[in-house]
Amino acid sequence: MTDLLWLVIAIPLAMATINILIGRRLGEPLSGILATVAVGVSFVLAAIPAVDFIAGTGEPVTIRLFTWIPTMGVEAELLWDPLSMLLTLIVTGVGALIHLYSIGYMHGDERFPRFFSFLNLFIGSMLILVLAANYAIMFIGWELVGLCSYLLISFWFTKPTAAAAGKKAFIVNRIGDWGFLIALMLLFASFGTFDFGVIFATAPAVLSVGMATAITLMLFAAATGKSAQIPLYVWLPDAMEGPTPVSALIHAATMVAAGVFMMARSAVLFELAPATGVVVAIVGVATALLAAVIAMAQKDIKKVLAYSTISQLGYMVLAIGVGAYSAGIFHMTTHAFFKALLFLGAGSVIHAMAGEQDMPKMGGLRKLLPITFLTMAAAWLAISGIFPFSGFWSKDEILAATFNEGGVFYVLWLVGVVVALLTAFYMTRLMVMTFFGSGRWDEGVEPHESPASMTIPLIVLGLFTVGIGFINTPFRLGFEHFLDPAFQGVAHPEEMSAALIWTLAALTTVVTLGGIAWAWARYRRSELPAESGVWWRRALGGFFVDDFYGDVIVAPSRAAADLAVTTDEKALDGVAYGLGSGVKSLGTTLRPVQSGKVRSYAGVLAIAGIVLIVAMVIIGGGF
Amino acid sequence: MGNASFIAVAFEVVLLTGALVTILVGVVAGRNRSVWGPLVGMFFLLSAVAGLWQWLEVQADGGGLYFSTQNLPIMRSPMVVMDGFSSFAAVILGLVGFVAFLGSWDLQVRLGKRAVEFSSLMLLGVAGLHMMAATPNLVVVFIGLETASIAFYVLAGFTRTVHGSDEAALKYFLLGSLASAMFLYGVALTFAATGSLSLYGENSILNFLSSHIVSQPGILLAGMSLMLVGLMFKISAAPFHQWAPDVYQGAPNAALGLLVAGVKIAGFAAIARIFVEGMASQIDTWAPIVAVIATISMIVGVVMALVQDDIKRLLAYSGVSHAGYILTAIVAGSGGYSAMWFYLATYAFMVVGAFTVVSMVSGPGSSATSIDSLKGLGKRNPEAAWLMAVLMLGMAGIPFFTGFVGKVLAFTSAANADYVWLVVIGVVTTVIGLAYYLRVILTMFSSDEGVELATLDVSMSARFAVIIGATVTVVFGVVPWPLLDVVRNALPL
Repeated sequence: MTDLLWLVIAIPLAMATINILIGRRLGEPLSGILATVAVGVSFVLAAIPAVDFIAGTGEPVTIRLFTWIPTMGVEAELLWDPLSMLLTLIVTGVGALIHLYSIGYMHGDERFPRFFSFLNLFIGSMLILVLAANYAIMFIGWELVGLCSYLLISFWFTKPTAAAAGKKAFIVNRIGDWGFLIALMLLFASFGTFDFGVIFATAPAVLSVGMATAITLMLFAAATGKSAQIPLYVWLPDAMEGPTPVSALIHAATMVAAGVFMMARSAVLFELAPATGVVVAIVGVATALLAAVIAMAQKDIKKVLAYSTISQLGYMVLAIGVGAYSAGIFHMTTHAFFKALLFLGAGSVIHAMAGEQDMPKMGGLRKLLPITFLTMAAAWLAISGIFPFSGFWSKDEILAATFNEGGVFYVLWLVGVVVALLTAFYMTRLMVMTFFGSGRWDEGVEPHESPASMTIPLIVLGLFTVGIGFINTPFRLGFEHFLDPAFQGVAHPEEMSAALIWTLAALTTVVTLGGIAWAWARYRRSELPAESGVWWRRALGGFFVDDFYGDVIVAPSRAAADLAVTTDEKALDGVAYGLGSGVKSLGTTLRPVQSGKVRSYAGVLAIAGIVLIVAMVIIGGGF
Repeated sequence: MGNASFIAVAFEVVLLTGALVTILVGVVAGRNRSVWGPLVGMFFLLSAVAGLWQWLEVQADGGGLYFSTQNLPIMRSPMVVMDGFSSFAAVILGLVGFVAFLGSWDLQVRLGKRAVEFSSLMLLGVAGLHMMAATPNLVVVFIGLETASIAFYVLAGFTRTVHGSDEAALKYFLLGSLASAMFLYGVALTFAATGSLSLYGENSILNFLSSHIVSQPGILLAGMSLMLVGLMFKISAAPFHQWAPDVYQGAPNAALGLLVAGVKIAGFAAIARIFVEGMASQIDTWAPIVAVIATISMIVGVVMALVQDDIKRLLAYSGVSHAGYILTAIVAGSGGYSAMWFYLATYAFMVVGAFTVVSMVSGPGSSATSIDSLKGLGKRNPEAAWLMAVLMLGMAGIPFFTGFVGKVLAFTSAANADYVWLVVIGVVTTVIGLAYYLRVILTMFSSDEGVELATLDVSMSARFAVIIGATVTVVFGVVPWPLLDVVRNALPL
């Protein structure tokens, strides 16, 4: 069945092409339905060979499509192993649900087919990224998803904020991509190939610690862009200008996890560079903390979720840093479901409130949007880490792994626990402000439950959110061993005693419950508390990191760009135009030679022939 | 290889049969284009298939073969050769002939009953061209040259009622005959110096030159010079190029694709075989001269193209500069073969596509076509405009188009042969050349006032010709390796 794997990528790409060419003729909703079906078919095509892995009998395979750059030995190859299988299923599965949801959400949009074309293009690009069997192909997917992200964030480009947000996302990501490119060059210089198989098999022998550190730091730089870590996280909150399904699919479930996935894929390299691991762990936990604090004070429902995403990505990056790759991928999996659900739920709320995103203007929606409320509540408990919802298992696994590292990592663990507390707080705040209390709606707003095409994905994602955690409990149902083939050659951390695991889990649960109780007590009152303190304001403004970047980086860059333009227009163009007109006047001077008279042409031909003979005789050594 | 001797001439046999059959069918169904039109296309494709057959035989055989005429003792030398060179040229010529035929369909429609003759002349001409590439005998080269040239003289003047076409044909004929005569004189002098007309075989020029020290090489040098003049004329290298702009301007648009592309392929094949192969021992004598001709061609072509107002004259001068670029590969000797073939094969499709677009805009038969007549094409027929843009970028040598790959290959081989100064001139002229190709693109997409904006309808076959040209330009620009693998094996015997 793996022979047909290329179709998993090809079908969404083909559908994207169809929609861009004749989408208008297909119209609404047919173009959306076809796009959804395309992703669904991809899911099924990936699910059939996936059965082998789930049954435990599958072997990783490399599927060669064609030779791309023979001189550099770059093959267009797909790698089908448990890791790429898992990602493929998430991307197509969650993707199909979000496509379905979008049919309802984008109803009436003028560029409806275009939207689905972009979504399909994104699915295809993301699959190229996750299924790549070498860094070159992965980089293509990496760049393509960046492009799709840009196209979709600024989908409503007539809105200046949306256009600016798209640009910001693109530029910030380019900074990270620069790291990826350098890593690619270093890898090629070291190995002479981009192929995963060769690189991972020979890395311990080929790479010095210094080179491994350089490569992994560059890869991590790339990941901070795509996976929104300090210092490049600033694009993600703005990315919420895009349509909500886009936020759910790209900026919560799949694309932002690409950095984590890429680092997990490169686990062998990260194992060789312990210093990078420490940097990664510290950046991850710091991002988790900073984003959680900012999320506490946000008023826009999507902004809360955006910062929450950054915070959760911080957890995943922490997992990579401490070498708990399966734990990171596990959290990525559970997060994909509950965060997609939260975004879609938020979308449903915004839809119901006629576009209102401000939480202080919501409230009391519990009775009016029962399905949205119940499913979002499941996600709320999951992300907070309440037993037995999925987030509990995955987050605890990361924290336990961090604790297990000992030494300085105890501090990181402690910060992680604090973040768990804050997470519980801001999520509870969101739920209470939105669904409980009395309605603080604007005049004329009449909330209503969303159509079935939107609620069905919510329900399906809700079921997964509750259940997906059980694939990897400390009871060892086998997820970690399931991923083993993908992490061959990576040392497994020591096993921890069950007692310790449960103690740590209980501890975080208590802290989490504390966070929930804190927020519940604070926001359950009839009047919302005034959040006007200086720290509230600072947190609401994201600690003004954007302004700082604006002053320190953007403004000087702009000045430099202006200078470059002036230089180019005044100095360089002058030279170029001067040369151009010089050459041109030479041509005009030569023109009369082309008289049009056969006689003169024949004369020139004869003279040129004689000159040639003379030259030949001189060079050839005379008669 | 039992009937290999037939395979060796299969290409010519197919095309000559095609020319005769077309004329015979034309007698019966001259006005019924739907009868003989597909027939001509089929013969062109069949000839490409014959070339492919030769190619596969040669590759399987791992070299090539030549065939002697045993019963003519005085001419006891091989007349036909089948090797990577000739079979690759056969495939390309067959395909280019086919695409050019597609592109000329609108003209055929307009010509009515005379179209049959036009088509059979195209078939004849291509057969002659391939003869130049598939023979080791200098006299047969001449015969091929004349077969093709006479067919093309007629094609150039085919629309003689249109102003300028008769003038173009006559100029082409007079100057072409002069050049052919010089070539023939060169052949005679070479025979006088070496006692042989053939490049291969027992009594070959190659053997003579490698076994004798020519103490008084004057006759040989003069012979080489004159052959060079004749061939340089055909490929329109400067300063032997002056006929080209005048002839292109006057000749029917639809005939030009084949006229330009085909002659270049055959001319370069002959130059490579005669000089790079046959006169390999004299490379230090002729290579500097070819390098100078390449330099003059690049500079004159680029500079003159800048000041043209007529798109056909522009393409003519651009052709002069391209001749210069391909000559940089010739200068490199046998190290430049793959560059030469890659460049020729891809340039041929660009040229045919570009002239087809020109004939879409100004009509297949008409002569002078100012660049301004392309104005508004972006609106009138966006497809044609975009494809033309691709072709122009290809000719300009922008990365991801075949022109870039071809230039890189040609310059690399020249640099490897220590002609770095030639490469520098090549790069500089390429940059300057960008200006006029971009001018064409800008003209097509400019939205000036007072431009006719009526939709431009074009025939299906002309569209196909342009689409094929642009597709080749992009596909082998992005993924050149398959073609590179092929041209690497397109070697002479």
